[in-house]
Amino acid sequence: MNDADLTHDAVVTHDAGLTLDGVSAAYRGVTVLRQMRLTVARGELLVVLGPSGAGKSTLLRVVAGLEPVTTGRVWIAGRDVTADRPGRRNVSMVFQSYALFPHLTVAENIAFGLVVRDVPKVAARERARSAAEQVGAAHLLGRRPGQLSGGERQRVALARALVREPDVFLLDEPLSNLDLALRVQMRAELRALHDRLGATMVHVTHDQTEALVLADRIAVLRDGRVEQVGTPDEIWHTPASRFVAGFVGSPAMNVLPSSGPIHPSGAPPAGMAGDREIGFRPEAVVLGVSDGTAATVDRVEVVGTDAYAYLTLRAGNPVVARVPAAHRPARGDAVRVGVRWADTHVFDAATGLRCVP
Amino acid sequence: MRRPRALLAALLATVLLAAGCAAGPGAASDGPVRLLVFGAPEELAAYRTLIEAYGQTQPGSEVQLIEASDRKDLLARLATSVAGGAPPDLFLMNYRFYGQFAAKNVVEPLDERIAASEKVNPADYYPVAMEAFSWGGKQLCLPQNVSSLAVYYNRTLFAKYQVSEPTPGWTWNDMVGTAIAMTRDDRGVVVKGTESEGAAARPAVHGLGVEPSIIRVAPFTWSGGGEIVDDPERPTRLTLDSPTGREALKNLIDLRQAYGVVPTDAEVEAEDDESRFANGRLAMLMSSRRSTTTFRSITGFEWDVAPLPVYQDQVGVLHSDAYCMPRGAKRKDAAWRFLEFAISAEGQQIIAATGRTVPSHIGVSQSPVFLDSSQPPRNATVFLDTIPTLRTLPTISTWPEVEDVTAGILENALYRGDRLDEVIRALDEQTRPLFARGEHG
Amino acid sequence: MLAPYLVGLVGLVLVPAAVTLTLAFTEYDLVNPPSWAGLANISELVTDPVFRVALANSLVFALVAVPLRVLLALGLALLLHRRSFGGRPARVAALLPTVVPEIAYGLLWLWLFNPLYGPINQLLRVGGENGLTVLGRTPPQWLTDPTDARAAIILMSVFTMGETFVVLLAARRALPADVYEVAALEDATGWDVFRRITLPLMAPVLALLVVRDLIASLHFSFVPAFVVTDGGPPPYATTYLSLFIYRTGFEYLRYGYAAAATLVMMLLTVAAVVVQWRLFRRYRAFYRL
Repeated sequence: MNDADLTHDAVVTHDAGLTLDGVSAAYRGVTVLRQMRLTVARGELLVVLGPSGAGKSTLLRVVAGLEPVTTGRVWIAGRDVTADRPGRRNVSMVFQSYALFPHLTVAENIAFGLVVRDVPKVAARERARSAAEQVGAAHLLGRRPGQLSGGERQRVALARALVREPDVFLLDEPLSNLDLALRVQMRAELRALHDRLGATMVHVTHDQTEALVLADRIAVLRDGRVEQVGTPDEIWHTPASRFVAGFVGSPAMNVLPSSGPIHPSGAPPAGMAGDREIGFRPEAVVLGVSDGTAATVDRVEVVGTDAYAYLTLRAGNPVVARVPAAHRPARGDAVRVGVRWADTHVFDAATGLRCVP
Repeated sequence: MRRPRALLAALLATVLLAAGCAAGPGAASDGPVRLLVFGAPEELAAYRTLIEAYGQTQPGSEVQLIEASDRKDLLARLATSVAGGAPPDLFLMNYRFYGQFAAKNVVEPLDERIAASEKVNPADYYPVAMEAFSWGGKQLCLPQNVSSLAVYYNRTLFAKYQVSEPTPGWTWNDMVGTAIAMTRDDRGVVVKGTESEGAAARPAVHGLGVEPSIIRVAPFTWSGGGEIVDDPERPTRLTLDSPTGREALKNLIDLRQAYGVVPTDAEVEAEDDESRFANGRLAMLMSSRRSTTTFRSITGFEWDVAPLPVYQDQVGVLHSDAYCMPRGAKRKDAAWRFLEFAISAEGQQIIAATGRTVPSHIGVSQSPVFLDSSQPPRNATVFLDTIPTLRTLPTISTWPEVEDVTAGILENALYRGDRLDEVIRALDEQTRPLFARGEHG
Repeated sequence: MLAPYLVGLVGLVLVPAAVTLTLAFTEYDLVNPPSWAGLANISELVTDPVFRVALANSLVFALVAVPLRVLLALGLALLLHRRSFGGRPARVAALLPTVVPEIAYGLLWLWLFNPLYGPINQLLRVGGENGLTVLGRTPPQWLTDPTDARAAIILMSVFTMGETFVVLLAARRALPADVYEVAALEDATGWDVFRRITLPLMAPVLALLVVRDLIASLHFSFVPAFVVTDGGPPPYATTYLSLFIYRTGFEYLRYGYAAAATLVMMLLTVAAVVVQWRLFRRYRAFYRL
């Protein structure tokens, strides 16, 4: 997988906001991060996306200094911090569980880092209040975490992280514990906060919608390696591997053998020889094409004005198609499906990598 | 799910009630006679020998020995077993402690049984011991021994340092002088043990071992012609403020404070006087016949006994243990038969052979069994000669408390050198309420 | 549902307690039936100098020994809660003295405290001359000096903090780990972490244990005082309330009087429980998450 991330992160600059240079980490003897190379520009909001067990949280903890690296170096704001303890790295972290001090008030929680660094009490209180205002938690200052809701706790955790104005913010799935409506709201607020502060942020999530909405760039992780780093557009339109293509987008991209039952219309790209796979998203599938492949409808899911038809080709491959709800087929219907080469991505069947013409 | 639990609860409640209301082990009126004693392993072995011999003379009659670890344990066991309704059939107790049980009407008078018995004749026994166990005109217990205080001494050490051994009729001053001469450091040079701790020369051998208790003060007060209580029959207070009492107290305290011939309290705590004597580091020890059984196992040196020193008159203090039968005992007849055997000449000979006792049976005490000089002490007659001069301590029911209280005050006096007037006042003040609460026989 | 347990509780604890409390107002010598004495026992207790000494000894013991025990248990729990090499043997070692039967434990210390031949004083005398320590003073006269004897009993009871240690260990391990990671990120020193995070979060458990130990200190001073010092160098230096009750009841056969002293002991226990209840209620609200 080194080829892939090399093409996307060829120059590892040491005065970026955050740089990981060949970092490996292990947990209880099991390698979690494998020679990872990643750069986050100053002021960038990078979202680290991946399935469970990909190493996202370990990545954050390695940057924070809570886990040791077995190889490689970590650079923060131009400083090699690999040997530094967490407190010396000038990073802040928002934990998935928020990690608020249950016995302190919200104001004391936010001011904790300042108090511990012997900032005078009045100044600390003032800074804590302004941080709370920035995240919309100013009215909670006198309460204790036990009296707060999930969303309120999250704001307090955020305030605590930004009161110190660190070099890098690390956010470990901060929105996972919230319900959907709150999550959407907090997403917008997080983005606004980042834009206001201009701080370097690394946000970890397994929710691809969140990644696509929030990120300046997304880093897709799989098994401790970076599969692809790019803007949401790049990730969406030019996935670097079958994994990335399948991970981003819901329902997932349809992937079939290139020789297989579906033959896209239009001009095929060059370099198609050999064992290849083609992938196309559900919205690229057209139903009712006269020379398309035969398929039967297994079931149809309707979400508002969209309908997702789950088809099985005569050859047996499953395909998902997105159609307007008004024109959706019924269960059991026989339909003909087709797709254009322009909407298709080509992957090498063996390596899973995108085939570049 | 509720029925099994309810059943379990009912079962537990029944078990609890049954255990609480049962009369305890040995409730049946047949079964072995239970004898409660305490003592060192050698003493307990003596009792076991006695029981075996009894078993041989009367086959089928069993006696079971219940061993308490020390006197306090025996008292606690006795009290709780009486309260629980299952007392032992016989117990052995010192006359100084039986008063609390006699006053509470726990002990069964034996006069009728003695009168009806063929084996037991009161005239065969030393009167002073028999009278010690007479309460309210009745004979409550039958004494097993007539011991008293004597001075054990290490003959080998005396020979080594060429100091003359104690002789009968020797005075207190003689004893102090001997003790001073026998207090030596590890080079064998006489050393004054009063020097403060940390001094270069500390005694390796001390001249004398005395336990600071009222039992040691009493004979010397009497010897000076005084009394320790105002009325020996019905005491209401200690009278150690008399000139003779003062003198006896001062002499005791001076042993440590003026002459340094007794070990310090730390030394006594580290190694008690009996061990110290047995290890050859104590020249003389004031103790009763009880120590003989322990000392007979000494192999490293020769030892003997001498009578107590005198002020004016030769006086001794009685140490006597007796067999008593609780009122609540279940096997009184069987217990009496064993008692007869134990008290008779035959039984007393068996116990005397172990060296533990000075037999209360006059005949046995004067026989070779007791006076046999092949086993130390050769001067066993010392114990007999003193019997006519023996006096008893008061048998008031609160005497054990008096002993405990005075022991604490005297211990501090001996080792810390409290002022004599303070000591006497404390002794008087703290014992008055105890005498007031006590009952007499 | 609780029936079997209730039977035991009532039959073995409540009924005997009630009987003892009634006996406090009687004169009872275990042998003859009890006779009613009203408040005579209580008034005698109030003027009895030995009882006052025993009560003072018990209170001082509680106030000195309990903080020492809890502090030692806390220190060990904080030292040993992580997985580490030698951690498990160390935890077992901390627990061992509680496992040993009390009498055996007492006899062991009786030997350790021997003023001349015991290991402790022998060790203290190393480097000194003529039986003095290196500093030129006599080693503590453990069992013959009143203050040293009290110190000896306190020392003995400090090492049996095994149960407190185990509870504190569990409490420490139950604390959320992420909070400590936040502290690490904020570059908090070890002392800061202890003072601002560990101690406040463990405070409810600590309070509970302190009160429990205060109540238990009335009882666990008995075996050491009984076996090692036998009430202490005169006068009554290590006679604690429990020993006083035992002596009065079972050696001097004044059961009613001993029951009256037991009544005082129970009142002290009730007071401690009430204090704990109020403290617990006040602080419990903070820790609901």
